[in-house]
Amino acid sequence: MENEKNLTPEVPENQTADEIVNEISDAVDAEIAAERVSASDPDHPVASYIPESAKPDVIEEHVVGEGMTKKEAMKIRMKNMNKSEIAYLRRKRIFEKTWPVFRFLILFGLAFVILTPLLFMLSYGFRERQDMNDPTVIWIPRHLTMKIMKQTINAMSLNASENNPLVNTLVLNIGCSFCQVITCAITGYGFARFKFKGRNLLFGIVILMILVPTQIISIPLYMTFRFFLFGQVNLIDKMLVMYLPALMANGIRAGLMIFIFRQFFRGLPKELEDAAYLDGCGPFKTFVKVMVPNAGSSFLTVFLFSIVWYWNDFYVTSSFFTNKKTISLQLKNLDGLLNIAIFNNANANISAREKIVWFEAACLISITPMLILYACLQKHFTEGIERSGLVG
Amino acid sequence: MKLPYERRKALYGYGFISIWLVGTILWFLIPLVESFCYCFMNNDTLKPNVGGMNKEWLPFKDGQWLTNFKYAFRVDPKFKQYLLTVLKDTLYQTPMILIFSLFIAVILNQKFKGRGFARAIFFLPVIIATGPVYNIINGNIASTGADSGAQFSTLFETDMVDKLLEFLGVMNISDNLSEIINTVTTNIFGLVWSSGIQILIFLAALQNIPVSAKEAASMEGATAWEYFWKITLPYVSPMILANFIYTVIDSFTKTDNAVMGLVLEKQSDWNYAYAAAMAWSYFAIVMVVVGIIVAFVNRFIFYEVD
Repeated sequence: MENEKNLTPEVPENQTADEIVNEISDAVDAEIAAERVSASDPDHPVASYIPESAKPDVIEEHVVGEGMTKKEAMKIRMKNMNKSEIAYLRRKRIFEKTWPVFRFLILFGLAFVILTPLLFMLSYGFRERQDMNDPTVIWIPRHLTMKIMKQTINAMSLNASENNPLVNTLVLNIGCSFCQVITCAITGYGFARFKFKGRNLLFGIVILMILVPTQIISIPLYMTFRFFLFGQVNLIDKMLVMYLPALMANGIRAGLMIFIFRQFFRGLPKELEDAAYLDGCGPFKTFVKVMVPNAGSSFLTVFLFSIVWYWNDFYVTSSFFTNKKTISLQLKNLDGLLNIAIFNNANANISAREKIVWFEAACLISITPMLILYACLQKHFTEGIERSGLVG
Repeated sequence: MKLPYERRKALYGYGFISIWLVGTILWFLIPLVESFCYCFMNNDTLKPNVGGMNKEWLPFKDGQWLTNFKYAFRVDPKFKQYLLTVLKDTLYQTPMILIFSLFIAVILNQKFKGRGFARAIFFLPVIIATGPVYNIINGNIASTGADSGAQFSTLFETDMVDKLLEFLGVMNISDNLSEIINTVTTNIFGLVWSSGIQILIFLAALQNIPVSAKEAASMEGATAWEYFWKITLPYVSPMILANFIYTVIDSFTKTDNAVMGLVLEKQSDWNYAYAAAMAWSYFAIVMVVVGIIVAFVNRFIFYEVD
């Protein structure tokens, strides 16, 4: 209780009262009681800084002192306040009562904007196409069906035995992300903890990697891969096109990842390395044995983001792959694919509005893995960034 | 021979970044320089050939070496127009995204029931908005009849603000203001969907505000409004700058941005030199604008020095 009193503004009367605690009557008890009431109220600003164990029991809150109710206690407390204090309390109470309502409305409205497309996919992906022309159908389809889903899977050739987009995407995604996270971590550590000539200049290049859009370098890069090793090897359409840059910390958004890792390693205490050095660890051993175990959550976050970026990328893959299919490429070319698979049929006769059904189904198919990943590891997506030291 | 510790450490430093250095020279710096050279090459002969690109420099006389840039700015009908629209859009959308994401981050930082769920929803765009799915849902929302996302934003779109201002007799401001409000409300879909990462970064910054600052503010009886301006804003101001740069870079490298679309179009028409000249001048202009704004904003930023 002593602690709490010191935290609240109207202390003076209180402290004197404390000293002559024996002769004190109801008034002081009431004050303490009022104090307790406010401290047990979770929205009270003071309450959040008091450890759980220090909080008084909630049961006492209704009848306090000598049979005094909360209201009476408050009244006595109010007597000791001046006008501006009362006004402040009143304003605060009004704010605390109304704000949650507004907050709910704002969050609900905006969450609706975010979730609408997803609800669209769920609602449109499982309906017959004639439901699109039925004005009575808005959200809940009249004819539930898996037919559209199956057709879309066929059109995107997700069930093909060779050159399967799903397999390609997974091989690319997991492999590249894995390589890239490791190499970016090594590079980030090098930038964070070693002083060498030209470090700032080289780090400037990292920043340049973040700033320069891929579109600028894609054509020369294409030529490099097309005539690799002085024209001896054609790497276009090979997985190596994606793997080689990732292996050398130059994959998709590598600059950002190096930056994150550098910030993170800079935040770790220097004593760790000094201790390791005294114990006879070389720098690389220090990195593997001391720094990496400490960076676990940071690694996971960057890895997850890397997976998402590789999954979503269609620009880089479309520049280097001509026959190889990935999910996002299939989605990008969906119109053509659907034309070949379904719409070119003379009997089909499908309107533009009806096509939406297939598009939504394809969207649903392609984001489902990411959604599942997100749902399971949401914590690492959102809290990892905070811990990874991007801030500060 | 034994090297001193510091020297050895420097060598190890080179060792750690060597993988990246080789990769960057091969996959980043060489293509970058080459693409820059394309700006000064003859567009008609710059075509892939057996064994590599068929390169031919433009003659360095009578300003002929600037031919590609002249084409971009004088001949091409769309480039200048697109450039201006993209710059204008970026300049007014970026502050909107920043304000919006800071607002949402402040809300998501408060304690209330279902906060985890709300956060999960607001970060959802992070995993979707970079991919082709976003283009499809964006297009669909605009073209279907039952576009509830757009309908939702029209809730605010009635002429109330306009009427009120007209009533108050401020006609001239009214037009501009209602235009701004209109763009905000009709654009709410794009706004919400492109501020995932920004919210994330702001939220992290908000959680780094020391407890002592909060305590002091509540002792002195600060209202929420005062608290926001005197405590929250100074503490997150470094992240405002970071978010600003991130937002600008993100919006100007997007493939659905008009200038980038034009560059890609030129590339697919085999006009590599024109494409390179356009991309580089666009890049240079954006960098200059960002540089000026960063230099200006930097003076108002509060860095906590312990």
